[in-house]
Amino acid sequence: MIYFDNSATTPVLPKAADEAKRYMTEVYYNPAAAYSPAVKLERDVTEARAVIARAMGCDKSEVYFTSCGTESNNTALFGTLRAVHGTGRVIISAAEHPSVYEAAMELREMGWDVKLAPVLETGEVDLAALEELITPNTRLISCMQVNNELGAVNDIAAIEKLARRRAPDAAVHSDGVQGFMKYDMPSCSLYSVSGHKLHAPKGVGALYVKSGVKIKPYLIGGGQESGLRSGTVNTPGIMAFAESVRDFSQHRSEYVRQMLEVKKRLYANLSRIRDVRLNGPDMESGAPHILNVSFMGVRGEVLLNALSEKGICVSTGSACAAQKRGKNRVLNACGITGDRQDGAVRFSFSHLNTVREADTAAAIIEEQVAILRKYRRR
Amino acid sequence: MEKVLLVRYTEIHLKGLNRPYFERALVDNMKRALHEFSPRIEREHGRIYVRNIAEEHMDEAADRLTRVFGIHSLSHAVAVDKDWETVVSAAAELMEKRLEGVSSATFKVLARRSDKHYFMNSDEINRELGGRMLEKFPQLSVDVHKPEIKLSVEVRDMAYIYCDEIPGSAGMPTGTAGKATLLISGGIDSPVAGYMMAKRGLTLSAVHFYSYPYTSERARDKVVELTQLVSRYAGEVRLYLVPFTEIQMTIYEKCPEKETTVLMRRLMMRIAERFARQEGALALITGESLGQVASQTLEALVCTNDAVTLPVFRPLIGFDKDEIMDVARRIGTYETSILPYEDCCTVFVPKHPVTKPKLDDLRTSEALVDWTEMIERAVEKTELMTIK
Repeated sequence: MIYFDNSATTPVLPKAADEAKRYMTEVYYNPAAAYSPAVKLERDVTEARAVIARAMGCDKSEVYFTSCGTESNNTALFGTLRAVHGTGRVIISAAEHPSVYEAAMELREMGWDVKLAPVLETGEVDLAALEELITPNTRLISCMQVNNELGAVNDIAAIEKLARRRAPDAAVHSDGVQGFMKYDMPSCSLYSVSGHKLHAPKGVGALYVKSGVKIKPYLIGGGQESGLRSGTVNTPGIMAFAESVRDFSQHRSEYVRQMLEVKKRLYANLSRIRDVRLNGPDMESGAPHILNVSFMGVRGEVLLNALSEKGICVSTGSACAAQKRGKNRVLNACGITGDRQDGAVRFSFSHLNTVREADTAAAIIEEQVAILRKYRRR
Repeated sequence: MEKVLLVRYTEIHLKGLNRPYFERALVDNMKRALHEFSPRIEREHGRIYVRNIAEEHMDEAADRLTRVFGIHSLSHAVAVDKDWETVVSAAAELMEKRLEGVSSATFKVLARRSDKHYFMNSDEINRELGGRMLEKFPQLSVDVHKPEIKLSVEVRDMAYIYCDEIPGSAGMPTGTAGKATLLISGGIDSPVAGYMMAKRGLTLSAVHFYSYPYTSERARDKVVELTQLVSRYAGEVRLYLVPFTEIQMTIYEKCPEKETTVLMRRLMMRIAERFARQEGALALITGESLGQVASQTLEALVCTNDAVTLPVFRPLIGFDKDEIMDVARRIGTYETSILPYEDCCTVFVPKHPVTKPKLDDLRTSEALVDWTEMIERAVEKTELMTIK
């Protein structure tokens, strides 16, 4: 099988899985308990937090563990705004993941003045347009670091500068679920990450909250995670997450180079097929692990099914979004519509993929596209 | 005090000498719907009584019965001894529950008496019991025309007392009208069509065409799920899953593009008819609605009909899409139907299908290919699932 859907999830690193198992079967205590093995476990969790913090380039007191990227994003949006008295403006980019977009729509229902910053055709937020939207009463700006569908990379540090200039009170949040480890954490107030996109198991994520940023908890209870995120700490998930981040940190340039090489190779192969359009940024400016291509005259979903039968896993968009034909919100926002949207397929890579897989997959895709085009709407 | 479900049935009473046959079929269907609860079902004087169901299963049992065709309505009733004071106190207990949290309400008593030896007639029961209720519940007042609460008392072998009527699905008992085969896609219309014909007493089998590998496994699961939802009303459905890709691709390669959809429909009907005959079904059912899409114009339907000799039932033929969607929502198939997967009818679609196909042209186009072997292969690779 060729797995080119690593933006949906990744296989768990065996070392990380071992670590999770050990913390389930041997070191299974509740780290909040008072006896000595639990206290030792709490220290392990602190060390894991430090590993994530080092990878982010922040202090460990600024890292809060959550259950997933969605929870991190929801906490960032609702948590910071609950700490604000009154109301004001909230700006998100038009290409955000549903866990930010739907949360923002909910905020709009709650009375916040929510604005969508337009994106360019490549998927990057239009900085000039975003700047225009920032008013002095803007309380939160949320923009993803790497777009999950197109691989577009946003300049979050530049957004932060704009915010400082025009709305000094605004918090800047970035969804780093696709960007974390492939890029440095940008300068911002809040940053969301997820374990399973980085070869850790599902069910663990983290939220960076810059010291001094006011935020209220989203889950209330026993006061774990310094009160920001109650709920028994997911020690197996956290320990595995730390392990996978440790591994990625050690091999970062090698891993990124590998992904980029596979991506470039696949695109080079695919661009030999007639009527193929690249969606998103060019090879060098896009994220190393995401390639989005439209096969004109072919339905992405039909091609996906055909590839699935040949043992190739790809996607037609975010696995988190219910897809209706012509209703891909993110591609619509980028102006990718009609046949180009219908024919869009996303390939996403990890360091485990090889150039050979890119060659094999491209050959099968070429063959399937040729078959399907015979039966296209003429 | 015994709790029973009192069931009223529909037009079965019109069926003259066949009536016992329809009643028996209804009772059998009710038994099947309730089999886990081991009910005792009794028929008497135009009513069916469901007894012996544990209290915690009563609501579920009632809910299931609302999906059994042939039932007009049902009520949660209590059955008590006919002793007058016992009747009054049981009625008061029911009324007390019914009035919980209600500050004022209008009511009337509706008595029926099949035990003609009872010491009061229906009018006397109405007056007496009404009076006792008014004494006990000051928040009640009588309204004989539009009461909010109808307190019903039926005096038979025992006295049956109830307040509310739950509407049933009406129709005729499934199985009393024979068997037909439904062509089911993954859309909104065909499950509704199947439901409507099952409502007239038909037993169903179903045929689904899929375009492996171009349609996904989720699309297939969706059809299984839809069939399962229909079977909640229609009883067991045997579902034939027919691989259709080879035939579709051949149509596209060899036949005029604008006729592909109608040709596809003709071949689907042929294959469905084969399975229908195998099942002993005497008709085909489709979800077509006149003019909804190019393959559902009158001319196109004439061409589709021409491919088979069994009668084709199209219960939705005069329905607007909105009306179909309303039924789909009511019977619970809508949410599944709108799941967005490609199906065999959307994978290969001509851009400009012919809307007024001519039968002679289609016959000529179809004759360009010998379909026999391909149909055999599709039939051979068909998978059969029994959905309950």
